[in-house]
Amino acid sequence: MARTLLEIKDLSTGFITEGGIVKAVDGVSLTVETGQTVCVVGESGSGKSVTSLTVMRLSEYDGGQILGGEVWFQGENLLTKSQKEMRRIRGKRISMIFQEPMNALNPVFTVGDQIAEVVRMHERVTRDAAWARAVEMLRLVGIPEPVLRARQYPHELSGGMCQRVVIAMALVCHPELVIADEPTTALDVTVQAQILDLLRDLQQKFGTAIMLITHDMGVAAEMADRIAVMYAGIIVEEGTVEQIFERPHHPYTIGLLKSIPGFEGERGTELYTIRGNIPNLARLPSGCRFHPRCPFATDRCRQESPPLRKLDEGRKVACWYAEDVAAGRVTGAVTGMDVESTEAVPAELSPGDGQTAVRGAAK
Amino acid sequence: MTEYLLRRILQSIVVLFLVTVFMFALVHAAPGGPTHVLLGPGMSPEAMKIQEHNMGLDQPLPLQYLHWLKDMLTGNFGYTFKNHIPINTIIWPTVGNTLILMGAAWVLSLIIAIPWGIYNSTKTYGISDNVATVIAYLGFAIPSFWFGILLQEYFSLKLNWFPLSDMWTVGKQGDIGNLLWHMVLPVTVLALGFLAGYLKYSRASMLEVLHEDFVRTARAKGVPERWVIYRHALRNALIPVITVLGLDLPVLVGGALLTENVFNWPGMGREFVEMALAREYSVLMAITVITAVMVVLGNLLADILYAVVDPRVQLGKKGGASV
Repeated sequence: MARTLLEIKDLSTGFITEGGIVKAVDGVSLTVETGQTVCVVGESGSGKSVTSLTVMRLSEYDGGQILGGEVWFQGENLLTKSQKEMRRIRGKRISMIFQEPMNALNPVFTVGDQIAEVVRMHERVTRDAAWARAVEMLRLVGIPEPVLRARQYPHELSGGMCQRVVIAMALVCHPELVIADEPTTALDVTVQAQILDLLRDLQQKFGTAIMLITHDMGVAAEMADRIAVMYAGIIVEEGTVEQIFERPHHPYTIGLLKSIPGFEGERGTELYTIRGNIPNLARLPSGCRFHPRCPFATDRCRQESPPLRKLDEGRKVACWYAEDVAAGRVTGAVTGMDVESTEAVPAELSPGDGQTAVRGAAK
Repeated sequence: MTEYLLRRILQSIVVLFLVTVFMFALVHAAPGGPTHVLLGPGMSPEAMKIQEHNMGLDQPLPLQYLHWLKDMLTGNFGYTFKNHIPINTIIWPTVGNTLILMGAAWVLSLIIAIPWGIYNSTKTYGISDNVATVIAYLGFAIPSFWFGILLQEYFSLKLNWFPLSDMWTVGKQGDIGNLLWHMVLPVTVLALGFLAGYLKYSRASMLEVLHEDFVRTARAKGVPERWVIYRHALRNALIPVITVLGLDLPVLVGGALLTENVFNWPGMGREFVEMALAREYSVLMAITVITAVMVVLGNLLADILYAVVDPRVQLGKKGGASV
């Protein structure tokens, strides 16, 4: 029975800069249900990492300021908690997997120590019992010779091994929610698939919900139940994995899907890119944040910011012309993007076929 | 570990050998000589020749060097030219005196600087941090001899709280209280010098580590902030600090030339100046050799400590990355 585990409501987090407060996250709402995997997809700078760090209340250590909103986790608003109270939740009920496993581990402690530390932080156990749990967890994440490995330091392990250690650390206390921030980005392609498989296995074993942050639509296709697409601090489209992949409604989502290199594409053909860059958050464009890069932008888009509105069941989108964009009837001035083929989402990216998709993207 | 140590010791011996050759050549290349000092300017060339012959100074330089090296290796630093006193009896007490003075200043500055620097790294640009910055600037900027004279002027001549100079009051040699009382001013001067560097260094090192990913990981694990700082960050921050401490070790024996002279402290620094003026080659060589040994030992010690705190440094083994 799925019920709501995490509910982010209208969350805003900003950073104080010389030019005033920059909102890295601007009114994001998102729900994660128990045992579910929700992927937050977007380019670098879209605010997806800051969102996850704010849920953990860790963005404050990097100078982030929570400007508003609520984060409900199992009936408690995490944003009203003190850091002391959060400490009891972090690692125990919500834990985190980071992007660069080599840097995420402390170089001067053995990996066994670092896993056992989580247990000792949250449970009243002896040193030996915690160590035994760490070794057991290393075995569970597929590290050969866990007894030996537990005594090694991070620099003695490969990147993939380190990520397994980080995953072991995140899951050793059986948290209800794991936030994985680009867990495979820094890894070799072959290792990426192994890590994703491992995450899925463990999710089933422990019934953990996963909030997966990624910029890789292929990863999202393989892992997600639901997908939220973020752009410049807001969610521009949200829906089930089928909804997003079969019929994307936001021009940005369409662009993201089209920029996945498919293996059936001909050699030498240029890869699709969304022109332009994500805007500077301190100087956001007027109206819709995506309009300078949007091939369908109209005067309305340049002046009025579209709200995130509900379309069909479970889908939300922030675009004035979502229905038209999805149906291929576009009213705006068309530049650049080949509108005829909004269905040009690579065929192999249908969600039921997610496995192929990520492998395809990888190769 | 043993293999590494042996290799490092062998390297050190080579370094020391080169230092002695270089120093020997350099000292002998300097103008003037002991015969001038001994016999005075009015002496006839013949008398100089005889004197030089008696002292073995007419022998070829390499031969003189080998003689000296042989004595040095047996712990015999020779005699002073002028009064024919065994150098051992002059030099070891001064080494001890310098160690007392510098050791006290060094330890004091460490005790203050490292915890304070670390604290400031967690509260940058707070009052405490700004005070430390000012102190560090003063420590870097004020010449030690001037600061020493200033302290003498105020605390000794005006207020009469502390003695002006020397190590003991005459007739009170061996009285620890008397020694400590004499140490206050010179130790203050020297400690300020050390403090400036260590304060800035420990703060910067810690600040850098606090921005590392693994610090965030520790917080994400639910580690209390105090542990994040003192367990996860500190061990890493100390690694570069240890290097600096190791490099400073020889200074503890080398002495503070200026401060010792200002406070008339009977240590190596003062001895070096006196003996240089008196053209006492043998004493200068002895001091140089002792300093060289300390430099080499300091580096060796820093390397070993380094390996103790940082598992990535594997002594004697080629990097252990696997899989």
